[in-house]
Amino acid sequence: MLFHTWSFLLFFLIFYPLYLVLKGTRLKLPFLFAASYFFYACFSPLYLVLITYSTLIDYAAVTIMEKSKRRKIWLIVSVVNNLCLLGFFKYAGFVVDNLNYLLSSLDLSYRFPGPGILLPIGISFYVLQSMSYVIDYYRGNIGREKSFLRYATFMSFFPRLVAGPIERARNLLPQLSENSAVYLEDVTDGASLFVTGLFKKVALADYFALYVDKVYANPEQFQSPALILATFLFAWQIYFDFSGYTDMARGIARMMGIRLIPNFKNPYLATGLGEFWSRWHISLSSWFKDYVYIPLGGNRRGKFNTYKNMFLTMVISGLWHGAAWTFVAWAVVHVLGRFATRELERTSFYKDKVPRLVKQLLIFLFVLFTWIFFRAESIGDAGVIIKRIFCTGFMDPKCPVWALVLIFTAWVYQFIYESRFRWFLELAVVRIGIVLFMVLYLMICASSSERAFVYMQF
Amino acid sequence: MNKNIIKDKSPLPASTSAPSFSSNSIRLSGREWMFVGIILAVLLHVGPALWEKIEPFEPGTDYRLSYELSNDYWLYSRYCRWACQRYDTIVIGDSVIWGYYVPRNATLSHYLGEVTGQQRFANLGVDGIHPAALAGLIRYYGRAISNKQVILHFNPLWMSSKKHDLQIEKEFRFNHPKLVAQFRPKIPCYKESFSKRLSVVVQNHLSFFSWLGHLRLVYFDGMNISTWTLKYPYKNPFEVIIPRRSVPDDNEVYEQASWKEKGIAKREILWVEPGTSLQWRFFQQTVELLQARGNRLFVLVGPFNEHMLQAESKENYERVKTEIESWLKQKKIAYYIPPVLPSEFYRDVSHPLAKGYEMLAEEIVENPSFRSSIH
Repeated sequence: MLFHTWSFLLFFLIFYPLYLVLKGTRLKLPFLFAASYFFYACFSPLYLVLITYSTLIDYAAVTIMEKSKRRKIWLIVSVVNNLCLLGFFKYAGFVVDNLNYLLSSLDLSYRFPGPGILLPIGISFYVLQSMSYVIDYYRGNIGREKSFLRYATFMSFFPRLVAGPIERARNLLPQLSENSAVYLEDVTDGASLFVTGLFKKVALADYFALYVDKVYANPEQFQSPALILATFLFAWQIYFDFSGYTDMARGIARMMGIRLIPNFKNPYLATGLGEFWSRWHISLSSWFKDYVYIPLGGNRRGKFNTYKNMFLTMVISGLWHGAAWTFVAWAVVHVLGRFATRELERTSFYKDKVPRLVKQLLIFLFVLFTWIFFRAESIGDAGVIIKRIFCTGFMDPKCPVWALVLIFTAWVYQFIYESRFRWFLELAVVRIGIVLFMVLYLMICASSSERAFVYMQF
Repeated sequence: MNKNIIKDKSPLPASTSAPSFSSNSIRLSGREWMFVGIILAVLLHVGPALWEKIEPFEPGTDYRLSYELSNDYWLYSRYCRWACQRYDTIVIGDSVIWGYYVPRNATLSHYLGEVTGQQRFANLGVDGIHPAALAGLIRYYGRAISNKQVILHFNPLWMSSKKHDLQIEKEFRFNHPKLVAQFRPKIPCYKESFSKRLSVVVQNHLSFFSWLGHLRLVYFDGMNISTWTLKYPYKNPFEVIIPRRSVPDDNEVYEQASWKEKGIAKREILWVEPGTSLQWRFFQQTVELLQARGNRLFVLVGPFNEHMLQAESKENYERVKTEIESWLKQKKIAYYIPPVLPSEFYRDVSHPLAKGYEMLAEEIVENPSFRSSIH
């Protein structure tokens, strides 16, 4: 049940009035929990087994930790359990494939059987969320959640269940505890977020995907212009797809009076790669910073260790995105770029002399290049694409100009939003005009898409 | 307004920090949303009506919905309204009524007009429509057909196998899936997702969406605009929508060769009994719907090309006809099951050639039931 489908609309039309009625009562939490489990079961009822297991183990770990003197053991139990869950469901196939590849290159006939498991939707997100709760409790940053039902609802809260944002217990749990009313402003803000997200996903991301899929499916059949444009469109496809999902998730939660953290902040306007990661998938970046980079030592033990920690964090983050070498390559290229720009940013020439717009374009071009690894079907395909981008001639790319018009309009919007002319976008007539355009465009031009969100597969 | 929604500024929960709203300014207040809602409601209502005013539509004599626009239900609805204003008798059915192997001036409605000496029969046949889809077509897009005289055709071809009757479990693509019942009664071979079915239901209830379907069919080669821009990457999609006549000329030459001349062999047909047939059930629904709308109904069954049937199939066909007849009698519906036409007047198992239509029209007009029901 994806947010941009009619079945979700039906689900929400039934859920929401009941939620408003039950919000101030003791039934609110059981109802929200049941609705979240129902929502998740619509993908596959089997997923419930896994999320229930994960919820039970971490809730128990923290409960025991509270009374136990050996708190660290229970932290390890919880973390190992979560990593095993993720490892088994997400990486078993990858490990087996690589072992079999190794065996075949050693001319050995034995092959390990494939695990034949499908990755449960949302596991990468709720496992990280659960780990953050246990680690934060261990560190003394938060108290133990006494109500199992509230904790289970925190884990399964349906707007953010399948693709984040990866919430922290200190933000979401208190909001589930309160019985505050839903204000009109929550409803209108939620609707604004939802419509924006829907437009990003259906009208933009799914549209660009048509061209991107065509080119990336057979890169050897296309020449430089088509490959460059497909990569350019993919950069925007993945941004609009994921930020569109986040907007919709935040919009739905907001209509329920719950505020989820923002996940994106116009990342393609970043002037450095560090800044890019503070604007892109913010909840994941901050998770890796808090639970991987800083525990590894952060930037505290000299330059070498800083870069080593950055490298490790980024590679783990790459692997989190998917069990494939393309994601590792994507992360490595990113981290190498980060090293270079970090040094560059320390020079007075780059800091003071290079115009902001040039920095933004340079960073965008670099990020664009890295997306090739992220999107390519294999490392081999990524190599073919890069080679063909630089070594082939000009052939009509047949890229829809309309798609480029939409992208540049969105880009210009973002530039204006972050400039001193933001007041113009805040004029009522402009805001209303944009919403009208989005809704009408969705109705008239967009296809009725049931295409899954890119980040759901992670 | 729900009493659980409080009209006030929202204080942030004390225990959380205030996350920023978004990375854009698209944030409307309640009043602004109301304004957007009103404008959208007006556009949804006025858009298709306004389009009717600016897009030329002059069907003329013997008009039939062109083959390419068979799925243009908005145009069908528009044609229905047009035809119901100008003609007193509406002829409804599948490609037999539409005239699959004949030009538009050799269809049954044309010859009925010719035989009676009056231009009073409108051809509202749709190529490829089957009773399950016809029921939806009349329900959602044929609302204008009320208090009229209606000749409703039933083609037994749709009961000539379990597949034709949509009763097989294996999914297959059949015509006009958007018109069939999406949930009940269940059509075994229709396997669309719940979400897709829901969207079809919404689209069938809002004329705005069928109008969009019309725009796609007439101006965008039947594609949505996103897909269209892939085919025509350098064209401006909004430049293409210049209202134009959506009635392609019917210039095709129709060869009048019979089924024997075409070398088509005789067939064994495993008839589905009317008692268990889905298509027959949907046809009955259409009959009831048209009656409920105050129409005077005349049902025409066949004439099926019995010359093409093997002996056993022919026997079984008689049984099917008898059952159909008894239901029509029981419901006191005027009907006619004409005798089979001469073999050379058929192009295939159910479609007559021009001569066949002419003969059929003469027979129908002579039929006492027709004379008493269609004035």
